[in-house]
Amino acid sequence: MEQILFAWNGNPVAAEPGDTVASALYRSGVRTFTYSYQRGRPRGLLCLTGSCPNCMVNVDGVPNVRSCTLPARSGLSVLAQNQNVYRGFDSPAVKRFPAAPPLSESAHHYEHIYLQFDVVVIGGGPRGLEAALESASRGTQVVVLEKEPALGGSEALAQKVLAHPGITTFLNCSCFGVYEGNLLGAVQIDYSRPNAETLLHLRAGNVVVATGAYETQYLFANNDLPGVMLSTAVLRLIRRHGIVPGKRAVLIGEAEQSAQVRAELESAGVQVVGSVPVESVVNAEGADHVTGLVTDTVTYEADLVVMCGPLVPDAGVVASARGQAVTLVGAVGGEGITQRDYLLPQSAQSADAIACLCMDVSGQDVAETIEAGMGHVELIKRFTKLGKSACQGRMCQTAAIHLCSQITGQTIAQVGTTVARPPAPPVTLGALAGMRHHPVRRTPVHDQHDRLGAVWMDMGEWKRPRYYGKGNQDECVEQEYRAVRERAGIIDVGTLGKIEVKGVDAGRLLDLVFTHEFSTLPVGRVRYCVLCDELGTIVDDGTISRVDPQRYFLTTTTGNADFVHQWLEWWTAAAGWKVTITNLTAGLASMNLAGPLARGVLQQLTDSDLSSRSFPYMDWRRASVAGVPATMMRIGFVGEMGWEIVVAAEFGSHLWEQVLRAGAAVDLRPFGVEAQRVLRLEKKHIVVGVDTDALSNPYEAGMGWVAKLDKTDFIGKVALSRLKQSPLERLLVGFELEGATAPPDGSPILVEGKPVGWATSVRYSWQKEKVIGMAWVTPAEAKGGTGITLRSEGVDYPARVVEEVFYDPAGDRLKM
Amino acid sequence: MSFLLRCPNCGERSVYEFRFGGEIRKRPGPEDGYDAFLHYALYKRNVAGVQWEWWYHRGGCGEWFKANRNTLTNEVNQTLLPTDEEQPG
Repeated sequence: MEQILFAWNGNPVAAEPGDTVASALYRSGVRTFTYSYQRGRPRGLLCLTGSCPNCMVNVDGVPNVRSCTLPARSGLSVLAQNQNVYRGFDSPAVKRFPAAPPLSESAHHYEHIYLQFDVVVIGGGPRGLEAALESASRGTQVVVLEKEPALGGSEALAQKVLAHPGITTFLNCSCFGVYEGNLLGAVQIDYSRPNAETLLHLRAGNVVVATGAYETQYLFANNDLPGVMLSTAVLRLIRRHGIVPGKRAVLIGEAEQSAQVRAELESAGVQVVGSVPVESVVNAEGADHVTGLVTDTVTYEADLVVMCGPLVPDAGVVASARGQAVTLVGAVGGEGITQRDYLLPQSAQSADAIACLCMDVSGQDVAETIEAGMGHVELIKRFTKLGKSACQGRMCQTAAIHLCSQITGQTIAQVGTTVARPPAPPVTLGALAGMRHHPVRRTPVHDQHDRLGAVWMDMGEWKRPRYYGKGNQDECVEQEYRAVRERAGIIDVGTLGKIEVKGVDAGRLLDLVFTHEFSTLPVGRVRYCVLCDELGTIVDDGTISRVDPQRYFLTTTTGNADFVHQWLEWWTAAAGWKVTITNLTAGLASMNLAGPLARGVLQQLTDSDLSSRSFPYMDWRRASVAGVPATMMRIGFVGEMGWEIVVAAEFGSHLWEQVLRAGAAVDLRPFGVEAQRVLRLEKKHIVVGVDTDALSNPYEAGMGWVAKLDKTDFIGKVALSRLKQSPLERLLVGFELEGATAPPDGSPILVEGKPVGWATSVRYSWQKEKVIGMAWVTPAEAKGGTGITLRSEGVDYPARVVEEVFYDPAGDRLKM
Repeated sequence: MSFLLRCPNCGERSVYEFRFGGEIRKRPGPEDGYDAFLHYALYKRNVAGVQWEWWYHRGGCGEWFKANRNTLTNEVNQTLLPTDEEQPG
């Protein structure tokens, strides 16, 4: 058989088959596994069942891995780590292992799976397996979650469960919480590769908890010395790994409880020199490892102190299941656990009696906290941090409760316990996050942009070209800008929402939802649309085309397509109207061809007469373009004569190529979002969400004309009617800068040193040969010519308000 | 929050498939005046108990429906298509 070899702090350590990293290290003589949180006390193996914090190591760059549950495997790189070192506690006087390398991006496999079962059994011990078989015999689908690598119980029982067709078993799988609707969270660890965890979302009919009980420690001076171990750990070293845990042992606990442990230790060849009751213990002796145990009558020389500690039901998951019905079987429900008093020796209140191993809280700390007036276990937890770390109170809660009871004179029931909340046990953030999925949406013309050298920007999930070319951004954008203003340009607007609304009530619905009137829009016409909420706030804008008397075609902004779709659906549902709404965004390609020479370019691709006489501004029509069925809308966001051409997604790249080819003679250019932002800014066309915010209304935005207040009703009508009568609190105005450098969007606006608003968009305009922008200001500053100041990073940018539109105020170029 | 919700079209699904649409309320008419609209837009009843609400099955049929839910326990007593009339309660 091949030998298992892994590295411990760079040195090779051999492991036997069946070894965990912890057992292999113990076999090789390692006794100090970590140094404690505040005081740097050496700590060694304590429980060996994944219940305490003492054996945590750094494995292949990942900290806080419990070495007692990690199977030894060749090639692992294991480093000792200190417990949760915070910078403030990292004084040179305190003993430490060298700091582990910082957490780095390492290989990982985090998956989520979703399952449903009739019955989920948490815990694959004998009682859990019996419950699973009993359920499965009635024909139910059962799943067993076992945190250890093998099922418990007898070999025969385990085989029966594994062979049963109605039972699914997950090993190395810890359930960390039972949530509403019987949803269980569990993490299965794949130890064969680093950071491989699967998060199970289990929906269960019934939940059976069979998590058993764990052994907890006693509280006495130096109870945390390496060599002071729980009986579970000692028995596992002997039974599972064939390791003789020490030479001379002293047992702590009641005689009846320690008799079995004594017998097994002796048959393994350990000399048991004494067996003492808890209350007689004074302290353990030793510097880096235990060398003896002092009781009130005897001092034992020993290299192993075995605590036969009390068993505590492992009920963390049960407590987390607030309001959910779960069935407890076995020790978790108290079955088979002999109720014994948890006894505190004299030294329990000493500074060296460690109650909370994770946070280094001593019996003395607890006693002082109680004396300071915090005689409640929840207060003790909050003040001392006892029970707030990796072991989640397993090693300290019993001790703290009894200490509190002893000092305050309350009964155990009066002291109570702290509230358990999931996750218990802890879960890695990686497992919760799962695989990294970043959904990306690409328009049908995406590959063409890529070939043209697009520099991409993200707009929600969408990818859009910011500009094209390898050169300096400003130069590239200027070329695109000039193409549109002087010749022709084309921009992919496939990200805009595209929604079809049809049915006998379609016009009525749009009249209710949008501020304009659409039931009177003639077939063949397009109209700008604004959507407001009941407070009159602008939510979205776009265009609506009337296709036939009962059919409309809507465009929305890129980010709001789903919102507008659901909004329309909701009003339809609430009103009970007959309207069918279809979100066509993903099924269509659309692009906007604009510029003084756009007509000549497009006319090469269609027989349809594009002259303004036949096809005026704000008309739309269906025609064959470049040999494919298309819808053309004559609209103009960028302020030039232009057509938005919509085709089926599969024809998108064909149409794009054909337009580029037809435009080659006039040097047509594709343009990106950045050039579009400048072009529309010169027209003072707003971008909802950039120039408007969550409070902007059409009157403030200088677009009061969109509100058709003579309509019987529409969403926001009552609020807009009121706003129209009220004095404006702020206004969206244009401005131009004196200097040539543009401060960033969002820069505050000052007048005489006082803030009066902020700039929403600031760009260099090649038309005005100045920096221009739009800004929110108070009405006092809204008059043309008013001097305002933009401020950014301590630099002032003098500007003046400009009332007229920067480019083609009459809109003649749109209608050429 | 991880309760199950029965979509009238798709059946019982995890609540994560749905979008919450708020309590079902009657929208005032324009004749009811500004205060009625302010109240409608800004105030919610916030019932601690059973109420009728709108839900949207985002991860399924893409339809709105009505649900009768206890806001304290997340128990869903009934779900209805928008065209069905909800009973008071």
